[in-house]
Amino acid sequence: MITTEIKESIQSKLGNFVIAVEQHYDFPVYIVKKAHLHEALKTLKEDPELNFHFLTTMCGIHSPENEGAEFGLMYQLHNMPNNWRIRVRAFMSKNDLDVPTVSDIWPSANWQERQEYDFYGFNFTGHPDLRRILNMEEMNYFPMRREYPLEDAWRDDKEDKYFGR
Amino acid sequence: MFNFKLPIPSKSTTMILLQSLNSSRDFLPILLMFIVAAGFVSFVMIVTQWLGPKHKSKVKADSFECGIEQIGNARSPFSIKYFLVAILFVLFDVEVIFMYPWAVNFRSLGAIGMFEMFTFIAFLLIGFFYILKKGALKWD
Amino acid sequence: MAVNIDPKNTPPGYEGQGFFATTLDKAVGLGRANSLWPLPFATSCCGIEFMATMGSNYDLARFGSERISFSPRQADLLIVAGTISKKLAPILRQVYEQMAEPKWVISMGACASSGGIFDTYSVLQGIDRVIPVDVYVPGCPPRPEQLIDALMQVQEMARNERRDYRQSERYQKRLEKYGIE
Repeated sequence: MITTEIKESIQSKLGNFVIAVEQHYDFPVYIVKKAHLHEALKTLKEDPELNFHFLTTMCGIHSPENEGAEFGLMYQLHNMPNNWRIRVRAFMSKNDLDVPTVSDIWPSANWQERQEYDFYGFNFTGHPDLRRILNMEEMNYFPMRREYPLEDAWRDDKEDKYFGR
Repeated sequence: MFNFKLPIPSKSTTMILLQSLNSSRDFLPILLMFIVAAGFVSFVMIVTQWLGPKHKSKVKADSFECGIEQIGNARSPFSIKYFLVAILFVLFDVEVIFMYPWAVNFRSLGAIGMFEMFTFIAFLLIGFFYILKKGALKWD
Repeated sequence: MAVNIDPKNTPPGYEGQGFFATTLDKAVGLGRANSLWPLPFATSCCGIEFMATMGSNYDLARFGSERISFSPRQADLLIVAGTISKKLAPILRQVYEQMAEPKWVISMGACASSGGIFDTYSVLQGIDRVIPVDVYVPGCPPRPEQLIDALMQVQEMARNERRDYRQSERYQKRLEKYGIE
């Protein structure tokens, strides 16, 4: 379990990278600036006491209602010997989607970043092979952005009476 | 030096042997079965070419690679030791085949036959010894 | 001793002592219909339902589909069972084109017939957008009895097909509609 001493230790090691700390259920969430993201994650992995050696997952966030910080990235880290789990978030505006890659810190981030590029359009600088992974290569938009209507308005083969319209 | 009699067959056994050699009609069913088997195979192969539809296209002629584009060639060189083992097997298998009629007629060939076969096997064993010394059967 | 067998679906023909004569079309149709070898292009839940149909309870092998092959070169019938995503569509098309003539396609389940409940950016809304389909089986998943009914309909199609259908204009037009040359 993460105790407050450990949380203070993380806070002190990350120093002024952290903008805010939140607690979402069991997870301490550290919000960092995008410019410090790579270094913060590197510290979390390589510090012998913190030892967050396992990147459980990362995912993209798009909240169009937050002006200036629409897009975000969430990294969930895990320290297996001590069973500590934390999350690290970084937010950015929609005009500035260049993010440094963490695939040099955790090799599993390679495909995970490809997925985030495929669905949100983040441009991971320094990524060895940034291309679409789950969608077809000819797709020219980023599906998981919250800027599309829920239904395809151009379909003409769906009858209204079956869909409650 | 050797006290033995040559195995000359008696008159009655000679008659039976000659009869069984002369009636080649016994082999007719085998010939018929061979014709039926070969004929059926060739009939089916030729007739399906006439009866079946044909459709050629470039995609169809590509190698099947579960639907994705094929990359490269399936030919690759392989080690010669497989070929050597196969050839040597064929040679010694033919030697064993020659030993089968000897086993059937062992008694009637007598001691002279046995020593003839021993010299045959000795020649082949010299060859086998040469192969072993040359290292043709070494697997690594 | 007379044996009283009444096989269904015998084509019309002349029967005699120890032989049966019929037209070549009917004889070829009889052979094709009773030996449809399927290629199960099984992607999701309908694939499991197909496996259940091939099992001993709903045995599909008694209709002649004894040998299922996963190579299109030796299959007559392509059973597309499951959701086909847009990324998989060209692969499905390639597998269909590499099958030998004559070939039939069963689209099993709602996802293969029309995209099913997955009306999204990634799911192909029906495989008839890429390959010509002969029988659609609705259901999510369809019961094994429905798949057997679909197979019997394909058998009916195979039995009554003209021998020169695959070389004819109508068939070529059908292929051109899908862009298959």
